[in-house]
Amino acid sequence: MPAILYFMFYASLGLGTSLTFLSSHWLTAWMGLELTTLAILPLMAQHHHPRASEATTKYLLVQASATGMLLFATILNGWVEMSWSINEMKNPYALTLAMSALALKLGLAPFHLWLPEVMQGLDLLTGLILSTWQKLAPFALLMQISQAMPPTLLTILGLSSATLAAWGGLNQTQLRKIMAYSSTAHLGWSVIILQFSPGLALMALGIYIMMTMAAFLTMKDMSSTKISTFSTSWSKSPEKMVAMILILLSLGGLPPMTGFTIKWLVLEELTKQDMYTPATLIVMAALISLYFYARLSYFTIISLFPGTTSIKTYWRQKNIKDKLILPIATTATLFLLPLMPLTLALTYFYN
Amino acid sequence: MYMTPMMLSSSLVLTLNILLYPLLTALDPTPKKPQWASTHVKTAVSTAFFISLIPLMMFLDQGTESIMINWHWMNTSTFDINISFKFDHYSLIFTPIALFVSWSILEFASWYMHSDPYMNRFFKYLLLFLVAMIVLVTANNMFQLFIGWEGVGIMSFLLIGWWYGRSDANTAALQAVLYNRVGDIGLILSMAWMATNMNSWEIQQIFFLSKDFNMTLPLLGLILAATGKSAQFGLHPWLPSAMEGPTPVSALLHSSTMVVAGIFLLIRLHPLMENNQLALTTCLCLGALTTLFTATCALTQNDIKKIVAFSTSSQLGLMMVTIGLNQPQLAFLHICTHAFFKAMLFLCSGSIIHSLNDEQDIRKMGGLHKLMPFTSSCLTIGSLALTGTPFLAGFFSKDAIIEALNTSHLNAWALALTLIATSFTAVYSFRVVFFVTMGTPRFLPLSPINENNPAVINPIKRLAWGSIIAGLIITSNFLPLKSPVMTMPFMLKLAALFVSIIGLLSAMELAAMTSKQFKTTPTLPLHNFSNMLGFFPSTIHRLMPKLNLTLGQLMATQLLDQSWLEKSGPKGIASMQIKMSTHASDPQQGMIKTYLTIFLLTSTLAILLMLL
Repeated sequence: MPAILYFMFYASLGLGTSLTFLSSHWLTAWMGLELTTLAILPLMAQHHHPRASEATTKYLLVQASATGMLLFATILNGWVEMSWSINEMKNPYALTLAMSALALKLGLAPFHLWLPEVMQGLDLLTGLILSTWQKLAPFALLMQISQAMPPTLLTILGLSSATLAAWGGLNQTQLRKIMAYSSTAHLGWSVIILQFSPGLALMALGIYIMMTMAAFLTMKDMSSTKISTFSTSWSKSPEKMVAMILILLSLGGLPPMTGFTIKWLVLEELTKQDMYTPATLIVMAALISLYFYARLSYFTIISLFPGTTSIKTYWRQKNIKDKLILPIATTATLFLLPLMPLTLALTYFYN
Repeated sequence: MYMTPMMLSSSLVLTLNILLYPLLTALDPTPKKPQWASTHVKTAVSTAFFISLIPLMMFLDQGTESIMINWHWMNTSTFDINISFKFDHYSLIFTPIALFVSWSILEFASWYMHSDPYMNRFFKYLLLFLVAMIVLVTANNMFQLFIGWEGVGIMSFLLIGWWYGRSDANTAALQAVLYNRVGDIGLILSMAWMATNMNSWEIQQIFFLSKDFNMTLPLLGLILAATGKSAQFGLHPWLPSAMEGPTPVSALLHSSTMVVAGIFLLIRLHPLMENNQLALTTCLCLGALTTLFTATCALTQNDIKKIVAFSTSSQLGLMMVTIGLNQPQLAFLHICTHAFFKAMLFLCSGSIIHSLNDEQDIRKMGGLHKLMPFTSSCLTIGSLALTGTPFLAGFFSKDAIIEALNTSHLNAWALALTLIATSFTAVYSFRVVFFVTMGTPRFLPLSPINENNPAVINPIKRLAWGSIIAGLIITSNFLPLKSPVMTMPFMLKLAALFVSIIGLLSAMELAAMTSKQFKTTPTLPLHNFSNMLGFFPSTIHRLMPKLNLTLGQLMATQLLDQSWLEKSGPKGIASMQIKMSTHASDPQQGMIKTYLTIFLLTSTLAILLMLL
């Protein structure tokens, strides 16, 4: 595609999300969401691949219905409460509908089924944008309406996301689908703590974005989309694969990587709120997802099959120019655990 | 310190130390001369015998007994374990008799085992066994008794399996250990009960405190121990199998000393049982059953050693009956007299076996009275003593027992069984004598028949003297604690003699039939109750291990592997997760209609739930 189009689409993407962030009126929020949806469609379909086109169509249908439902919920609230304000949305039916709509947009269970297929049809960079940037706008809205929401529904959303994503992810060999399920699971962790501490939810989302960025960018550098590619990519860049192992385990929530922060703080907050059963259930589900991350790490292990010493890494390395973002993301994924209080304080602007 | 007890105690300690001395010198690794067995071991035993006569004489003259506590071995805060020896009339009389019999047997063994390359080790084992037996007999606390008990058990195992190249010998040794172990359960049960309830293992304290307790449980434990060690019915098959060992082993362990350890235990601890009817009845009935059963089995055996072994078992049953009659001293008397003639019977058998070039089947012997006159005469004397011929050694103990049985208000069934067993004793003893010494020879012509070695003649001669006069000497010299009933009907008084004569006559008639043929085609059943040993080994020896092993297999495979590992543990969890993963991936059909329907339904459901 000509470069000017890339500029247009990325700019619209950024504009849409910023518009949603800035708005206090539901109409402008809806406008921002629609803008992001429309802007990313050509980016998804840019490769003119049948699968890409199919993914684009599915994405459009799902997101359009979600945004439509959101509009319906806000209009209902406006009719009943005489208010367009996002912060003071009080009507319970409107809240429930809005929550379901936002859950569909985000890809939370039980509305997560579209995400793996859509992600599978995209190339890795667009997949990264889908799983990171596109989550920000709906999440901002979710944060704002979360105060008045019925807590049961949020807990059910969070628990079912974590468990269904864990079980679904066990069955996959395609990396993009695995990342889709991982997105659902992490968002489940975010949502379950949203009712008690929105700041913590935002931190969870933030750390998830860091980790996913590191994972996707490494996978893009290796051009690997399947597990079997992992097992042979050590020869292309052994350093990246070592980092990949640790990134995957960080996604799984294993200390001493940053991913552990989410699990730790969310569990602490849940137990402080006397929610012992949900805490146990969600952490068991995280254990199952840890299994498939660990399986991926296992396949990445640099283990040579018996042979002569002429088997070495490639002579010519890939071009690593202009790729500062990957080291930043990797460092953030692996080494930020000691800075946990700082990361928490940065996002802890609510109660 | 008083002179007499000091002499008594020091003589007995000297006896024990003389017996220990060859064992301690055997720890030195330099090889011993081939005559070490004769010069060191046999001399030690004979010296010990003569020294142990001193305390015996002192006891007979003045009735001194003594208890020595030597060493506080170990203690918890309230429970002491000591080394203490009790030299009462039981151990003072038994020790010289055991040493006398051992001396004779060791002298015989120096001829019997002279071609064995490990003869010195054999003698060492026999001596170690003897030390363990003396420790058992002189023990004043249960712990020391247990040490002796286990010691004789282990040495029995090693000695039965002496010819370990023979698989039958190994099986027999293992059988002895296993059956003894089952009996040990009873002994340990009693010891544990005594330790927890009476806080002591000292026999005096146990006697004193026993009046306050219901002693049924420890007594049943002791009876189980005696059943195991003394081969009562139920735990009896090891004793005939133990004849796989060399003849000196059979003579020492399995006739005179080790097998009476169980009875000796009951005699020692008899004051506990005096008033417990359950224990007494158990002893009575168990003993009666044992004596008749083993006598029945002895009737059709063809191996000379097995006949003598079953005869030992039968006499042990008789001793058990005596204990059940509340007459421990008569049982002890029978132990002492039985030692003499049974050891002699075994030595005669050993002499015959060696002379006929290791032939043990009585159907292949015969006419030895002319060829080995001394041995066959002593065989006859021993058999007569065994059946209770008046005024030989066996008569004083056996007849006293039968009289006590007849005049007591007890189980008539036990009485009947014991009398039948007495008649069977006469039958199988006559069978042995008939087949071995009478008639025409049935052995190979070039058998090395030679009994002229003094190492053979002298021990048998000594034991023959013992079989004749021991009964008289012992009964004249010790004071019975319970007065025997002296008046009884004429037939009851002669009952034992009468049934023995009937047995003898019927045996003679039956033996005379062996050279006549009444039917043209005689049909003899091959397997009957008697020669299959009551079918006890055939059923129990395969059944019990099979039950235990299948139980073990069930526990290992089904309980552990299948239940814990496969269904609930690691594999169970893994299979469950795989199933759930399939369920979670099923809705992923690729149809947007499905996804949006789910969205619609869930939102509707949420709204509806809110309405409620």
